Amino acid sequence: MKVSLIGFVLRRVRQSLWRLLWTHVLTSGTMAMTLFVFGAFILVQANLDHLLKGWGDQLQIIAYLKKDVSTEAVQRLISRVQSFPEVERVSHTGQEQAWRDFQTALGAQSSLLDGLPRDLLPASIEVQIKSAHRDSPVVEQLAQRLKDEAEIASVEYPQEWVERLALIVLAVRWAKWIVGGVLFLATFFIVGSTAKLAVLARQDEVALMQIMGASEALVQAPFVVEGMILGLSGAAISVGALWGVFLILRRQLSALGGVFLWTGDLQFIDPAAGLLIVAIGWLLGAAGSLFSLRSFIRTWKPLRGAA
Amino acid sequence: MIQLRNVSKTYAPNYRALADISFSVDKGEVVFLAGPSGAGKTTLLKLLFREEEPNAGQVLVDGIDVTQLRSRGVAQLRRKIGLVFQEFKLLSQLTVLDNVALAAEVIGVSKAQSRMRAHQLLRDLGLKERSGAKPAELSAGEQQRVSIARAVINDPMLLLADEPTGNLDADIADETMRLFLKIRDHGATLIVASHDFGIINRYGTRILSLERGALVDDLCRTGGEDRRP
Repeated sequence: MKVSLIGFVLRRVRQSLWRLLWTHVLTSGTMAMTLFVFGAFILVQANLDHLLKGWGDQLQIIAYLKKDVSTEAVQRLISRVQSFPEVERVSHTGQEQAWRDFQTALGAQSSLLDGLPRDLLPASIEVQIKSAHRDSPVVEQLAQRLKDEAEIASVEYPQEWVERLALIVLAVRWAKWIVGGVLFLATFFIVGSTAKLAVLARQDEVALMQIMGASEALVQAPFVVEGMILGLSGAAISVGALWGVFLILRRQLSALGGVFLWTGDLQFIDPAAGLLIVAIGWLLGAAGSLFSLRSFIRTWKPLRGAA
Repeated sequence: MIQLRNVSKTYAPNYRALADISFSVDKGEVVFLAGPSGAGKTTLLKLLFREEEPNAGQVLVDGIDVTQLRSRGVAQLRRKIGLVFQEFKLLSQLTVLDNVALAAEVIGVSKAQSRMRAHQLLRDLGLKERSGAKPAELSAGEQQRVSIARAVINDPMLLLADEPTGNLDADIADETMRLFLKIRDHGATLIVASHDFGIINRYGTRILSLERGALVDDLCRTGGEDRRP
């Protein structure tokens, strides 16, 4: 397209945006709502991923020791377990330490333990697993090997919870694209209808341009640019709204403290996800207009009249 | 310049607008399409600038069969054709100057160049003082002159006018026709559809008469004599 025509297109866009201001505001608002829902899924997914990673980092197997195991035997056990390729670190909690930890955890209610023997709780070793080996089968195999050790009475590990959360993350990831896809499709047609309304509002001008020899691209360009502007403004509004919701949620969650095993601060969507929302808005706006106009303008005969 | 070969056009469901029309027009000719309303004059003009396509036959403009053109070719064809309508078809929200300049802008002429050409044309047509006015502020004759300026701003080789004097009184209609003849003198071929036999008799050098979609007469007037090709 010639440079002189770019100015022509931009003037037409400005006039059309002004002429159908409220229609464009509504379309941009619809686009913003759609992208907000999509962005909300990304936000939830990002934070569940973050939570999962936090839990994964803390993933450890607790092996409770039998009562009459000697200190030397415990040291030999720790050395053996430490030599397993999947193991990052092994730490030991004696019966006395376990008792003190339990008292600390009970806080003001620690008096409940008064009168109970201090060797009530078993000693244990905590086995931290290397991040590359945190898959379910590896953890299960390691737990089984620990169970087979003569000094160990029982083992516990939170693998099931991690797997459930991973499943939820997967569900959110799919829901994002399924729900987003349906909303995108609806928005695509709404943008297309807005483009048709814009054409009808300027049908005399479009008809004259056509009969004066304007190219198909020039006739369609102002409406496609309008669609892009609607998409970009909708995306900007949706990211802004997400940011607002994020700030409110972060304040609420920090007031709740460590409830729900929250392992860190709430995360906002990363820049790549923000760009994805903007790109989808831009693409929906441009493609929605272009797709509906291609057939509409080609088959349209504005100069109907007497034969 | 223009050739129609056995052209027919039927509108759905079964309205025959043109039936087996054949004729040719040479470069620089002034041709009137005469006939009552519904005779097929407007349809014939629409075939020439590819607003409509025939059901049968060939329409050649400047050696090109316009029925075979695709979108880009249609745009190129229309850049060589100027159009004047009975109801002027000026854009009410634009000034007179912008209405005229628009025709040049849409084919890629810069805004400054388009406005300069439009200014010149409006001055030649005696509308210099009205260039900043909106179409609604003009008389019918002035609006028609603006639409003629718009039609000729790109120096078309073919000027098509559909009932150009239909909304004008007799004096203004004569003035408009004299303007068309001046344009013809610059080398354009002119085809005017009209049912105003006063105008046709005064200015017609070749008259194609249509009735119910059929070409019933092809009359040439030269040196006060009528002959049929």
